[in-house]
Amino acid sequence: MSKILVVADIKQGVLRSSTKELLSKAKALGAETAVVAVGSGIEGLLPALAAAGSDTQYLADDPSLALFSAGPWASCVVDAARQFSADMVWFGFSESGKAMSPRVAARLDAACATDIVDVTFVDGAVEIVRPAITNKVLQRIKILDKKLVAVVRAGAFQAAAEINGTENPVKLSPPEADLRAAIRNIVSDAGADIDLADADIVVSVGRGAKDAAGVALVKSLADELNAGFGSTRAMVDAGFMPHSKQVGQTGKIVAPTLYIAVGISGAIQHLAGMKGSKVILAVNKDPEAPIFNVADYGIVGDLFEVVPILKQEIQKVRQ
Amino acid sequence: MNILVTVKKVVDVELNIHIKDGAIVTDGLQYVMNAWDENAVETALQLKEKHKAETTVVSIGGGEDVQKIIRRAYAMGIQKGIMIDDPALVDVDAFVYARVLQKVVERGTYDLILMGKQAQDTDNGQTGIILAELLGLPCVSNVIGIEVKDATHLAVSRVGDFGTEQIDVTLPAVITVDVAINTPRLPQTRGLMMAKKMAIETLNLAKLGTSPEAVGCSAVKSKILEFIAPETRKGGRKFEGDPAAVTAEVVQLLVNEAKAL
Repeated sequence: MSKILVVADIKQGVLRSSTKELLSKAKALGAETAVVAVGSGIEGLLPALAAAGSDTQYLADDPSLALFSAGPWASCVVDAARQFSADMVWFGFSESGKAMSPRVAARLDAACATDIVDVTFVDGAVEIVRPAITNKVLQRIKILDKKLVAVVRAGAFQAAAEINGTENPVKLSPPEADLRAAIRNIVSDAGADIDLADADIVVSVGRGAKDAAGVALVKSLADELNAGFGSTRAMVDAGFMPHSKQVGQTGKIVAPTLYIAVGISGAIQHLAGMKGSKVILAVNKDPEAPIFNVADYGIVGDLFEVVPILKQEIQKVRQ
Repeated sequence: MNILVTVKKVVDVELNIHIKDGAIVTDGLQYVMNAWDENAVETALQLKEKHKAETTVVSIGGGEDVQKIIRRAYAMGIQKGIMIDDPALVDVDAFVYARVLQKVVERGTYDLILMGKQAQDTDNGQTGIILAELLGLPCVSNVIGIEVKDATHLAVSRVGDFGTEQIDVTLPAVITVDVAINTPRLPQTRGLMMAKKMAIETLNLAKLGTSPEAVGCSAVKSKILEFIAPETRKGGRKFEGDPAAVTAEVVQLLVNEAKAL
C-alpha cells in the first residue's frame, strides 16, 4: 500500500480546506495517510487534522516556527516523510508549498512536480497530469523515481463527503533555524480581507473600473457576497490593488465556485488564473471582450450601472 | 559583487500552441527569453548600477535562439555570457539543469545567483531552489524586492501566503524573482549593435568537468509521456439590454441553474 504524507495548510490557526481535499484523494487512491503540521501553538488542531482524513499526525509545534521560513519548515516535512516512509508528499496550492517542495524533493532525492491536477497509478507507476506553458497545454508525466513530492493545484481534488481518521500524534523536534535566510517579519498587506485561495466566491476588478471610486464600488459587491476581492495585473500596476490580490499567470491561481469578473476584458494571462472556476460571471460593456468566451453568464453593460443592481438583486435572493 | 543570472530559451507564449499526436507542433513557434529571467537580468543590472557588480548570464542549450537570448542580455547591459551546449541535455528534468548549473557556479566565484522564479514553458519553479540545495546555499524564492545591506548581506522581500516576508540573506545565495520586482528595460539599438560583437563562452559537459551520467541525464526522475490540449472553456450566454432586467435574470440563473449563489 502506498503511503501519502499531506502537508497541512494552516492559516491563522485554522486548517484550510485543501488539506481535507488532498487527504480525500489519497484515501480514494487506497493509500495510508499521514499529515504533517508545522507552526507554533497548533497542538489544538489535532482533532481537525485527524478528522480531515489522516491516520498519523506529525506535529512540529515550536515558538521558533511562528513565522514561515522555507528551509526549517521543509526540514520538518522531510523529518515526517522519513519517519512515515512516505512514497509521496503532497502540498496544497500555496506559496509556502511552492517554496518547500523542491527543497523537500532535493533532500529526499525524490521526483518533484508542481501544479498537478491529477494523479493515478498505472501498472504500479505514478502518473500525473499538470498544466504548462501558461495553461496552454497539459503534460502527462510518468514518475520514474520511487518517491514523488508534489504541489496540487487549487480545486484539483474534491473533499469526500465522509472521511475518517484516527488521532495518532507524533511530535517532531524543532529544526535548526536558517540563519543565512532569516525571516525577520511578515507584513500583511491584505489586512483582515478574505484570502483569495480560500474564498468560495471571488470578485475581481479590471481596468473598466477606471479609478479608486470604481474599485470601491466593485469591492462593495465583494463585501456584499463575503467574497475574496481580486484584480487584474493592470490594476496592480496602476497602484489600485496590492500585488497579493492579482489573479493570473503571474499572480494567484484561483478556482472558486463562482468567479465574478467586473470590467475585465480577459487577457490570456488573467484567464490563466481563473479558468478553473466552477461558474464564471462577467460584466463588461464591450460585447466582444474575450472574457465572454470563458464566462458561463455574461452581462453586457456598464459596470457602474450593473454593479449596484447586482448588489440589490443578490440582497433580495439572500433574504 | 559578482552576479550570475540564468536565462532560459522558452517558447513565446503569446503565440498559439498546437498539439498533434501527443507532441507540441514546433512549426511556427518562436523562442524568447523567459519573462521572469528578464526580471532577473534587470535586477542584476540595477545592482550593478547602484553598487558595482560583475554580471554574467548563463543559458543551457545551443543554436541561434540561445545566442539571441544571451545577446539580448548583453544589449540590456550584461557583461559576460556562457552557453552550455551539449546534446545530452535534451528532455531532462529540473534536477539535471540544477546539477549542470551547480558546475557553472562552482567554476566561478559568484556572490549572488539570480534566476526567474519559474520558466514559462514548464511553469515548474524548481531549478533555482534545487540548485541552492545542491550548493548548500541559502535561497529565497518569489522575491519582489532586494536591498543591499553590506558586501555580504541583503534584505529581501518575497510574497508568501500570509503577506510580504522580510528576510535577511547572507551571501552567497540563490534568489529567484517574481515579475513584480521591476520592469525590464528594452535594449536600445546601440546596445543591440554592440551585443553582436561580444563573445559568448561556449561550454559542454566535458569542459565543465562533468559527464551526462554525473548530471543524471540517464536517470531522470520523471518523463513527459504526452502533451494534451486542455478542454477549452466555452462561452455561455450573453445578456444584453435593460441592465435592471438582465441583471435580475442572471442572478436568478446563478441561484437556480448554476447553484452558485
